[in-house]
Amino acid sequence: MIIEISHFLSILATGLFLLVGYFSMLTPSSNSRYISNLIVRTYSHGFFFLLSSFLIYVWLAITDNFSVQYIANHSNTALPIFYKISSIWSAHEGSMFLWIVFLSLWGFLFNIRVKNSEVLKPKTMGVISLILVGFLIFLLATSNPFETILPIPPLNGADINPVLQDPALAIHPPTLYLGYVGFVIPFACSIAFLLYGDSKINWEALVKTWSVSAWVFLTVGITLGSWWAYYELGWGGYWFWDPVENVALMPWLAATAFIHSLGVSIKSSQLRIWTILLSILVFSLSLFGAFIVRSGIIDSVHAFANDPDRGLYLLGFIGIIVFISVFLFILRLSSIQSLSRIKKFSKQSFISINNILFGALIFSVMLGVTYPLIYEFLFDQKISVGAPFYNAIFIPIVVLAAIFLFFSVDSKWSRSINFKFISAPISFSILLSLAFTLFIMQYFESQSISVLASIFAGSLIIFRYIYEIINSIFSKKFINPFSVIAHISLGLLLISISFNSLLSTERALSIGLNSTEAYKDLKISFKDIGVENNTNYDSIKATFLVEDQTGRTFNLKPEKRRYFTRGQITTETAIHVTLLRDIYITIGDQLDDGSWIVNIQINYLIRWIWLSALLMGLAGVVLVFSNRVKT
Amino acid sequence: MNLLLRLIVFTVPTTFILLFFMILTNEDTYPGADYDQFQVPEFELKVLDNSISVKSDFLNGDYVLNVWASWCVTCIIEHPYLTSLSKNGIPIIGLNYKDEQEDAIIWLKKYGNPYQTILHDYQGNLALDLGVTGAPETFLINDGKVIAHYQGEVNDQIWNDVFLPVIKDRKMF
Repeated sequence: MIIEISHFLSILATGLFLLVGYFSMLTPSSNSRYISNLIVRTYSHGFFFLLSSFLIYVWLAITDNFSVQYIANHSNTALPIFYKISSIWSAHEGSMFLWIVFLSLWGFLFNIRVKNSEVLKPKTMGVISLILVGFLIFLLATSNPFETILPIPPLNGADINPVLQDPALAIHPPTLYLGYVGFVIPFACSIAFLLYGDSKINWEALVKTWSVSAWVFLTVGITLGSWWAYYELGWGGYWFWDPVENVALMPWLAATAFIHSLGVSIKSSQLRIWTILLSILVFSLSLFGAFIVRSGIIDSVHAFANDPDRGLYLLGFIGIIVFISVFLFILRLSSIQSLSRIKKFSKQSFISINNILFGALIFSVMLGVTYPLIYEFLFDQKISVGAPFYNAIFIPIVVLAAIFLFFSVDSKWSRSINFKFISAPISFSILLSLAFTLFIMQYFESQSISVLASIFAGSLIIFRYIYEIINSIFSKKFINPFSVIAHISLGLLLISISFNSLLSTERALSIGLNSTEAYKDLKISFKDIGVENNTNYDSIKATFLVEDQTGRTFNLKPEKRRYFTRGQITTETAIHVTLLRDIYITIGDQLDDGSWIVNIQINYLIRWIWLSALLMGLAGVVLVFSNRVKT
Repeated sequence: MNLLLRLIVFTVPTTFILLFFMILTNEDTYPGADYDQFQVPEFELKVLDNSISVKSDFLNGDYVLNVWASWCVTCIIEHPYLTSLSKNGIPIIGLNYKDEQEDAIIWLKKYGNPYQTILHDYQGNLALDLGVTGAPETFLINDGKVIAHYQGEVNDQIWNDVFLPVIKDRKMF
């Protein structure tokens, strides 16, 4: 009974959102006070119905209601409550449900925080509602989480996939989803702006805080995913150019360009076409991510194996959204021309150059994701596009973008300036960065141009902004705290990634029990191996005593687990974390002579990569809160 | 300039959407299916209901091998279809996977038995060697050789698109 109530509330919410769409798009005077109040209230009711439906669903999961097929397939009585809840987003139907609830939540927050007198509000709410209707129909018609097994429900559930029983994974998808769907706000506003067709309306200022908040969630979500793949999946690195990582990276790149472009549009009404295009691109890429993961079109750890009907529905729906946006854009293009031309060497000029560079990056990733699919379709052969392709494209473009960023610090808004290359800040940073890079080159005997160029670009940014900070302290010059934090963390990220690729090493050793092997400065002794029986899995657990050159010793205990209910084998890595490096051990198979294959990695500065990414997210948080204080 | 921008903005998404439409509607896209061929691995397992041991040569013929378990929810959904296949004369051998013997027998009494014989793989060893990742999974065996494999529920569409072309090709059953 309770499951039907939950199901019914979702259907009801769909109807109400459809009504909001009708009020805002088809009534002639959607801006009259009466209609706009109606829109606001109807939307809020729709949201509360949907939220209640979801909360009831969570409650069903907590109370092990296995008459719900989805819960029976993905949860188990033995799970702690935390994982019973997170099992909801461990597969397609439930995670789609969560995705939609988050989408409606952003709409709801916009609905209550933005004043009713805002001209674009009714149309914005209409666009959000119609997108919600499309996704709710997708959920209820093709992937219904409310399917039941009646009259005889199973006694126990099939358990959550063991690699998903992990705290990082319980929070990684929700954070990422909040980021993806958060871009519905700038998208809906720009569509409302295009529908309205009055180029004087300043829609950009309305969405700034919203866009940055969504960007923060996206940044943190991607970082969490990278961290999880490192320690739980045993991938041993921070980024693998896996198709699903890539479909999260593309909206992030587009969103980063969008936020910069938005800043220019707010400040000087320039780059408005870029801003609109990017707002459409960010949201389309978010939807494209959902399509890639949920259509079963690729094989990946993240992919939900699925029937092609879902893929077709999603593709059709995304197609409609994109075509309407593109149509409106083309229709209104001539009326939204920017007021003035961009001056050479002004801040705007650098931002628009970096927009183009980011566009190139997005296009390359898109190509990397789709090329294997096209190739397989045409020639029936599987190929994979891997790290060499992406490195060859990313390193030069990112270094170039970093150099433009470096020069943009000295530039002024709307004013072209004559660059003095021998001015103190520029020469100070260039000389220090050169010295640092040369030192690295000598000390580590590195010849790799891509590593050295990235280190140079990274330190250029860091030194330039440090100079800015010092300058602001002594001469009370105003600086943007978020811009400084975000760009310094970008520099830190570049340097950490370079050092990681310069210094990290790995090796597979075959090592017998009670013997010792040396690798780099480490002495690794194989102390013990045994089988442990646990409630839901058996595990082979090895113990290694590792000694580094300073004579410090520590134990590392990697495991291999076999889970009973699904028969899945997982590798549990053992990691020793220090400030500068991780020592990372996984065990493989036993050889005929009784020794074991052990994989050892020394990962330098890998924590710094995640730290700088989180710091970048923090910069966004600073921006959001400083904006709130002002208003 | 504006015309060029309009053209780009229109063509790029259109190309991608058409492309994905073509890929999606391409008949071969069943992510659970693969056609790697390999010999049925060595095994020695007991038959579920009468505890006779059988070895690998037991599968030296043409069969459908279906991996199932009483704890598997999708197996209940798949069950009526397997029963109809069995009634149409397709020989199906069950591989009962990581399941208690009593549970499996009660399950068969409740839903009916479409299998000629059921191998009881309590440890999951044969399943591991076959590359099973969960239940249900279905293998097509031709002369002791696996020639097609599908992960997930077999229904009319999967049977017709994934298995039937191979069966016709080899003139099996």
